[in-house]
Amino acid sequence: MSCNPDNPVDPTIPNQEEVITTLNLTLTPDTGAIVVFSFQDLDGDGGNAPIQSSDTLQSNTAYSAVLELLNETETPAEDITAEIDAEGVDHQFFFQSTVGGLSVEYTDMDANGKPIGLATTITTVDSGLGTLGIVLRHEPNKDANGVMSGDITNAGGETDIEVTFDVFVD
Amino acid sequence: MFSLINFLRRGLLIFFLPLIAPAQNCDLIVSGTVNDLNTGEVISNASVLLSNTRSVTAPTGAVTDLFGMYSLGPICPGKYHFTLSHVGCETQDIWLDVTADTLLTLFLDHQDLLLNEVDILSQRDTDSSPENVSLTLDNIDEIPDKSLALMLEQIPGVGTIKNGNGISKPVVDGLFGNRLTVLNNGIAQSGQQWGLDHAPEIDPLIASRISVVRGVRALEFQGNSLGSVILLEPGRVGANSNLNGSGQYFFETNGRGSGLNLKLQKFTKKLAWRAVGTLKKSGDHHAPRYYLRNTGSQEANASVQLEKYWSKKWFSDVFISSFNTELGVLRGSHIGNLTDLQSALQRDIPFYTTDEFSYTIAAPRQQVNHRLLKVNNKFLINEKQWIELTYANQYNLRREFDVRRSGRSNLPALSLERTSNFLEGKYHGYLRNNYELKTGIQANWVGNKNLPETGILPLIPDYNSLEYGLFTILSKVFNQTTFDFGARYDWEKRNVAAISTTIPREIIRYENSYHNLNLMGEANHEFTKDWRIAYTIGQVYRNPEVNELYSNGLHQGVSGIESGDPTLGVERSWKNTLSLHGKSKNKLSLDAMFFIQHIDNYIFLNPQNEIRLTIRGAFPVFKYEQTDARLLGYNLVSRYQLTKRMKILGNYSYLNGYDTFNNMPLVYMAPNNLYASFNYQIPELFNFKNVEVELNSRFVFEQKNIFLSQDFVAPPSSYNLLGFNVSADKKFSNFKLNVFLRAENVLNTSYRAYLNRQRYFADDLGLNVVLGLKVSF
Repeated sequence: MSCNPDNPVDPTIPNQEEVITTLNLTLTPDTGAIVVFSFQDLDGDGGNAPIQSSDTLQSNTAYSAVLELLNETETPAEDITAEIDAEGVDHQFFFQSTVGGLSVEYTDMDANGKPIGLATTITTVDSGLGTLGIVLRHEPNKDANGVMSGDITNAGGETDIEVTFDVFVD
Repeated sequence: MFSLINFLRRGLLIFFLPLIAPAQNCDLIVSGTVNDLNTGEVISNASVLLSNTRSVTAPTGAVTDLFGMYSLGPICPGKYHFTLSHVGCETQDIWLDVTADTLLTLFLDHQDLLLNEVDILSQRDTDSSPENVSLTLDNIDEIPDKSLALMLEQIPGVGTIKNGNGISKPVVDGLFGNRLTVLNNGIAQSGQQWGLDHAPEIDPLIASRISVVRGVRALEFQGNSLGSVILLEPGRVGANSNLNGSGQYFFETNGRGSGLNLKLQKFTKKLAWRAVGTLKKSGDHHAPRYYLRNTGSQEANASVQLEKYWSKKWFSDVFISSFNTELGVLRGSHIGNLTDLQSALQRDIPFYTTDEFSYTIAAPRQQVNHRLLKVNNKFLINEKQWIELTYANQYNLRREFDVRRSGRSNLPALSLERTSNFLEGKYHGYLRNNYELKTGIQANWVGNKNLPETGILPLIPDYNSLEYGLFTILSKVFNQTTFDFGARYDWEKRNVAAISTTIPREIIRYENSYHNLNLMGEANHEFTKDWRIAYTIGQVYRNPEVNELYSNGLHQGVSGIESGDPTLGVERSWKNTLSLHGKSKNKLSLDAMFFIQHIDNYIFLNPQNEIRLTIRGAFPVFKYEQTDARLLGYNLVSRYQLTKRMKILGNYSYLNGYDTFNNMPLVYMAPNNLYASFNYQIPELFNFKNVEVELNSRFVFEQKNIFLSQDFVAPPSSYNLLGFNVSADKKFSNFKLNVFLRAENVLNTSYRAYLNRQRYFADDLGLNVVLGLKVSF
């Protein structure tokens, strides 16, 4: 018997295909500049802080907003958006803003005719400074009171994404 | 006239000879001798006890004299139940129809007797020290529905740390997990002990005895224990050459669970064997006001034990067991981040609660398999000295499934495979001048590996470790005092291969090496036959475990990022235990145990002043750090026999854990509790024997020894649970029936237990009624 245990073989670095590293929210107005908010955290739970961008919206404007989710641990980056869309019944995005008058309306729906939130219309009214929070819940109770209209209170489920952007409405 | 009945029940050959013609008078005598099967020599001091299965008269008993002779009677003709016992043998039963004066010659297999005696002697430590407490087969058979940890709750000072009802780990004197070794059949259980939600992978129904060993004897075993060990012993097959065994069934209302346990055994000259199988299944459990969704479980276990006497001096036994379980975790306790935890904490009824019962077990769930192979050889040097060689191999596979996207719920989120190989050589001898010596050498190789099927960065790294151990325990009896002294040297070397948490991912290798010398001393004094006192002092070390050193990542269940510290050093414990055991006039008995334990460099998870932002939200960061801890506690047990039939029992357990460096309480310490029971025995009722009715009450105090800042919510309030139990036996001509009916939480009280991590999300279990039947033949 030797006095040393064997060295473990190199562990397999797992293919983290489920990880979401990046969220891009692209807002397109009827007229004017396209605005993009993005959140990117490549090392996941690791110690490096995520890179977050914020931008300026115009007041009294309706934006058509589209969410894009990516797994950039893989090359090329994997598009998670399609995965969420395909499992739309089990997912819903919730939007919460502290900016006065800013409203978000779902424009997509899952197989049961209930909102997912990958596509929305975001409408601004007054100018102001605040935040916009985006939460993705997995297996929420879409039948619970207020959930379909975007109230997260009774939704339940696990949070897969929770990011908050600083927003300035000019 | 002469009839030879090969009534070989439990190791006894019997010659049965009616002396005169059958008579109906109640003046029959059963007499004879007890002899050694091999040498033919007579055996004195064997006891033969006889009771008529229908008669209400007190049993008639006799002890064999110097010539091995006994005589029983006068008795009436009829079917009799013989109970035979001798030092070193299990109590054994025979049924016999007595129609005339009978000459009954009993043969004991002395070869077996010798080895049995050796076994008994080797258990002296456990029996004599009042610090060590055991559950016997009778205790185990009354709670077959419980897991190992929940069974051990019967022992004062032993609690459980749980994650819902299905997942429970034992806690002894405030220590659990990495600090408490569980020994299955003398072999340290090799599983993922580090996880708070990792229950020991053992079927307690294979054991005939489960003990908590707190004294010097704990030094005999390898493992990372800081003072006490839990020992499961299946017991010997025995020497009954007829096929015998038992079948047990239970049903419980809460969770609509059922369980079946079968034991079969047989002794032959060539090979003695025992086979045990257990099946258990339950569905969603019920809190007083709602179902706890996804809290079902299922279990299928089997074990085989083989024993062989190669010669009078060489005995071998082989033990093989397989444990397989699937455990559901409360659906409403699965959370994604701190916001989810906050909203779960504010809910009265957990998310996902439905009104319907279900047996379905979905994610989150655990699937655990454990296999053990043990080969043991015992060589007798003479009647008082022997050598044992043991080899054991264990395989453990733990897979945990989370709620995941795109069908990945069927892929484990954690998948750990562990293999270990253990070798031991041991000498045990009773020497001159009342010295007893036990010494041995051990080697253990462990490989712990993450299976890459998860698609998730592993929480703990892969590693291989090699441990060597040397121990010596010396005991000496001086008149009424026994002194025990034990020393244990451990050497451990670990090679670790971790994956970096930074990107690009890299393999980082670590090497750990530890040397420890553990010392313990114990004095055990018998004032009189009825009063004993024992004092134990010991210094024991524990190496930091791999999870404490290198774990890194999100711990889903508590929504925190846990981070290990590769610079952690060894924990050192100083423990003093004083225990007193006594009884007065066989009416009042008292067991008291006090301990104080100082643990230098106590490893604990300390919340940091850091909130880490990820795409899933913000998470608090916890880091493994070291401090100095002090555990102080006592257990008091008192029994009082009010009348021949009535007895009461009361026990109180107190524990206080304190961080003496940071001047704050320690988390995860069991709250104090008070238990009382009233027991009434009726020797015979409606053809049932040993009818026993018990009422009990457990009051658990609120854990006040904690700062609010140390937890997400305040500890739950105190609660009181009432229980009821009735049990009885019935003997038939060739089998025995035991029945019990037990009710727990009789008043259906809503409560939450501090050491149940499910308390953040849901109430604990409501009323449960369990019906159990056991047939022994």
